[in-house]
Order: sequence, then C-alpha cells, then structure tokens
Amino acid sequence: MDVARLRASFARIAMHGDEVPLHFYSDLFLKHPETRIMFPVSMQAQRAHLVDALVRVVASADNADNLTAFLRDLGRDHRKFGTLAGHYEAVGDSLLATFAYFCGDAWDAELAADWKAAYELIASVMTAAASEDEQHRPAFWTGTVVAAERKTFDIAVLTVRTEPPLEYVPGQSVAVESPARPRLWRYYSMANAPRADGTVDFHVRLIDGGAVSMALTARTAVGTELRIGPPVGALRLSASTGRDVLMVAGSTGLAPLKAMIEQLAASGQDPGGLGPDSHGQGPGGQGPGGQSPGGQSPGGQAPSVHLFFGARTADDLYDLPDLEKLAAEHPWLTVVPVVADGRFGGQTGLLPDVVVRYGNWSGHDAYLAGPTDMVQDASVRLSAAGMPATQMHVEDFGWSEP
Amino acid sequence: MTSDAWYDEQNRLTPAGLLDVTFPLTRWGRPGYEADGVRAFLTEVHAEMVRLINERASLWQEVQRLRRRILGKENGNDAILFGKDDAHIHAVRILSSAQRTADRYVADAQAYSGRLTEEARVRRDEIMAQAQQHADMLLDEAQTRARAAAVAAMNHDGPLPETDQERRAVQAELAYLRTFTEVYRQHLKIYTEDVLRTIEDWESRERATSRDIVAGNRAADRQAAGGPVLDSTFVSGPRAGGAGRSGHGRSPGV
Repeated sequence: MDVARLRASFARIAMHGDEVPLHFYSDLFLKHPETRIMFPVSMQAQRAHLVDALVRVVASADNADNLTAFLRDLGRDHRKFGTLAGHYEAVGDSLLATFAYFCGDAWDAELAADWKAAYELIASVMTAAASEDEQHRPAFWTGTVVAAERKTFDIAVLTVRTEPPLEYVPGQSVAVESPARPRLWRYYSMANAPRADGTVDFHVRLIDGGAVSMALTARTAVGTELRIGPPVGALRLSASTGRDVLMVAGSTGLAPLKAMIEQLAASGQDPGGLGPDSHGQGPGGQGPGGQSPGGQSPGGQAPSVHLFFGARTADDLYDLPDLEKLAAEHPWLTVVPVVADGRFGGQTGLLPDVVVRYGNWSGHDAYLAGPTDMVQDASVRLSAAGMPATQMHVEDFGWSEP
Repeated sequence: MTSDAWYDEQNRLTPAGLLDVTFPLTRWGRPGYEADGVRAFLTEVHAEMVRLINERASLWQEVQRLRRRILGKENGNDAILFGKDDAHIHAVRILSSAQRTADRYVADAQAYSGRLTEEARVRRDEIMAQAQQHADMLLDEAQTRARAAAVAAMNHDGPLPETDQERRAVQAELAYLRTFTEVYRQHLKIYTEDVLRTIEDWESRERATSRDIVAGNRAADRQAAGGPVLDSTFVSGPRAGGAGRSGHGRSPGV
C-alpha cells in the first residue's frame, strides 16, 4: 500500500469539498436505499463528520497506535446507530466509487486496489472493536423518563431510568436520542453519581433553534423512551492528590461536576474507600476516597471543595436549592453562586473574573465545565494566576450541536 | 429517438447483407421477382433508414451536450468526467440536489425556530422586568398609603394617656398593615391578571402565525415537489422529522 500515493489522491479528491461526501451518501442511498433510514433528514452535519473522520484517518495513516485507537472508538460508537458488519461493505463500495469519480483520469487499477485495501483495514479494525464491545455491553440503553422538571424557561432536568443500568464514572457523558428527533444524537453529562435504582439526571439547556434540546426541554413527558449511547469522556476526579478542589460550572456545565460532588459525598461516608456507588468506575477508577485508606471518618477526609456556579441571572441558577442542601449536609463543600447581570445578593460578574478575584487557587485541582468560551477563559485566567495545566480538568461543551 | 436503438445490434441491415439479398422468382416461368418478397425487403430498408436517421439525431444531441459540457468546463464550471454509467451519476446528482434542498429546509426551520425562541426569551425578560418594576412601585404606593392611614389613626383624637397611647400605637400599626395588605393585594391581583392576559394574547398570536406559516409551506412544498424523488424521499422528510414544523425558507420575510 502506497500511503504517499493515497494521500496525494485524497488531497486531489478533497479539493471538491462538500461535493465529495454529498456524492458518497447519494451513491450509498441509491445502491442501498435501506441505509437511508439510519441517517437524519438533514445530512449537513453528517457530511462534516464523515470528512473529519476521513481527514483524521489519512493524517494519522503512519501513526498506527493513534489510528487504531481512533478507529476502535469509531467502531464502538457506530453500534448505537445500528451499524452492522454488512453495512461496511456497502460503505466501502460507495466510498471507492466516489473517490474514483473525483479522481477522474488519475484513478487507475493500482490506486483502486490500494484504497480498497486501506478501507478493508479500516473496516476490520472498526468491526473487531464493535464485536468485542458487543460481548459486554448493549449497543444502546433504553432510558425511560421518570421525571421531567422544567426548572427555568431554558433548563429542564430529566430523570431517566436506564435498562440495563448504565455503568459510568461521574464526569462522563452519553449521547442521547429523543423519539421526537430520530437520528439526532446529542451529548449530555450524567448529573449524579450512580444510584442504586439505576436512574440518572440530565440537565438540558434549551439552545435557540436547537432541534434536540427543544424536544427534550419542551416535549419530553414522563414515560418517554430515550435512546442512550455508551458513556464517554475523560473528565473524572483524579487520583488522590492531597489537593483541595475548585469546581467552576457555567450553567448546565454543572451536571458533571455535581455528579463528582455526589461521588465525593458517597465516598466520604464509606471509610473503606470509594463507597458503594463507585462500582461503575472502570479499570483505574480513582476517587479521593483512596487518599488516606482506612483513615476516613464519615465526611471527614474528603478534600475541601469550592463550587462556583455561574448563570446569567439569578433566576437561571436552576439548581441552587439542591446545591445549598448538599453544602449544608457536607461541611467540606462551599457553593458560590455567581450571576453575570441583574440584581443578585451574592457574587456578580463574569464567572472567570469572580473565580480569580475570590482567591488563589494555584494549589487546587480545578474542574471546569460549561460553555466553550467560559471554560477557555477560566483556564487561561487560572493558569495566568499560577495553576499548572496538569491540575486543570476540562469538559468543554463546544462540540454539542444545536 | 429511442436510446434502445443503440444496443439493438441484431437483425440490422449491413452493407454486406445488401449484396447477399435474393428475391424469390415469380412462378409460371415469367421473368421478375415476387411482389411480396420485394415489399418485405422494402419494409426492412425503411425501418433501417428510420433507425439511422434517429441515431443520427441522437448522436447530434450527444455531440451538442458534450460540446456544452466542454465549454462549461472551460468557463470554470465544475462540469467534468464522463462516467461509464452516466445514468447512475445522473441519479446521484439528482439525489444530491434533493438532499441539499432537504438540508436547506431543515436549516431554515431551525433558524426560524431559533428566532422564535429568542423572541420569546426577550419578551419574557421584558415582562419580568416590567413586573419587577411594577411590584416595586406598588410596594412603595402601598407603604405610603398605609403610613398615611397609621398617622390618621394616631391623630384620631388628641394626646392620650400613656397606656392609651400604646393602644393607639398598636391600632395605628394594625391600620397600617391592613391598608398596606389590602392595597397591595388589589393592585397585585389586577396586575397579575394583566400580565397573564398579555402572555395569553401573545401566545395565541404566535400560534396563529405558526399555523399560517405551516399552511403556507405545505402549499409551497406541493408546488416545489415536482419530481418523485423530491416528493417521496425528501421534502416529506423535514415535515416528518419535524425539526420545527413552524416554517422553513418560504415563510414571509425569511
């Protein structure tokens, strides 16, 4: 396989921009009409995803480890869409036909054979990862909404019971599909530590014009069955560092951080370490409970946690009562509500400003979640104030589409 | 012109075949060919000529088409390539353009619903700010009135002995509170009803507008959806998918 030649031809194909994925999907749907149902009505975002994936594969073609990890993730991720082994062949055919079309005269038998071999390799890594994944977890979970509360005009909290129970680490998120918006998946973080009854909370913020967020906030009644993909995301409480914790949550960025606080609360109550709720942690799962094994009194040794919870107006502090209750129960937790504009008895201003004004956090572990701008701004300000990058853990919701 | 003629290579009259033609002789020894046989041959020649003329016309069209394409390419258009199976490529193009239409519809619907939500948000903020302002005003007014009522109760009849003065003070306080509560309650009731009415009005107006737009779009869709591909596969998509039924590109002012 001549990687240089593949790259050169890909560069030539890529010049045609959006025409390429457009042609590919049309070719696929004409040859295999049954695959159309697996995609949303608007294919705009889908085409961008395809191009991103192709660019990534071609770019990392000579970094086997990197590429394999990416393709394995991709293969596992495709299970929730109902992708079957047979679909890979259909996709390969259409991909090659598309490449041939855009390569024009430069397409020859040798190039075709090279692309075919490359695609077969890609497909085999993806299908292998998918079938391994199949051994120990479902393609998706069915989540029945057991409570739906519209907290503000913009924000709803959905409580969902999953079948089978979802195993995850607090801080992770899942892709969610609403029956009102088939084939549109959006990521939401679980807002609680795993519970005995298998329910999870999602904090859903209405994005103007957002097809999915609108359906989830306004049209999701108790009893609605959502589809939920496997837990993803690297945000989690890091191993016992002995440092105290700073959390900065912008709006519904609160969700993963609240789950972590609950995890801390649960582990603090269990002198043995992580507590009964920690079984969802994968290999290498860590918790601050491990920082002084055997030496914990209930609620005693947990690190002190400062949570800054920011919103535009006081009314948008949708989960404040619950957080204040948690703070009252756990002396190690301090909640600082912050409001950007409007009247408010507490801290006012932009969240990153308030955080750095409040104190020196350089000796803390920081967890930041919320809108991309806020998260970026906060991490820049914190590192300017002396916090090492290694102590900062970030969940950035920038990739969520409307 | 039938494109089938391209592939119907059997039973064609060839130049060599022409040389090999034999006609049945007339019976009874008279010289000449049998009329039916000649007529059959003429029929065949006729059919062949029709085919040739059609082919020529079709080839001429093809030449024109290719010429246009080459010109298009020279003018910088993205017209390229002569695939082996042109029909499939043609179908891919039609489907692609239908997909683009569907994408645009969904994007328009999303933009429209985004604007609606944004407007609703702005409107809500206005109402809330107004309510807050109004409540502050009512509170001030009620306090002023109640204070006046208390003063009136105090000054009801001249100075009083110590204990009586205390009694009066309590009465005054009561009068203040009673008046304050009464005034405040009435004002608030009227105001709340007013706000609710405003919201209801606004809601029903929005609903009516959405209905109009949906109706308008349906009509527009029916017009736009000429081809079967558009009609069955795609244009119905955004409606069924429902990413905001309340309107796509054809709504007035969009």
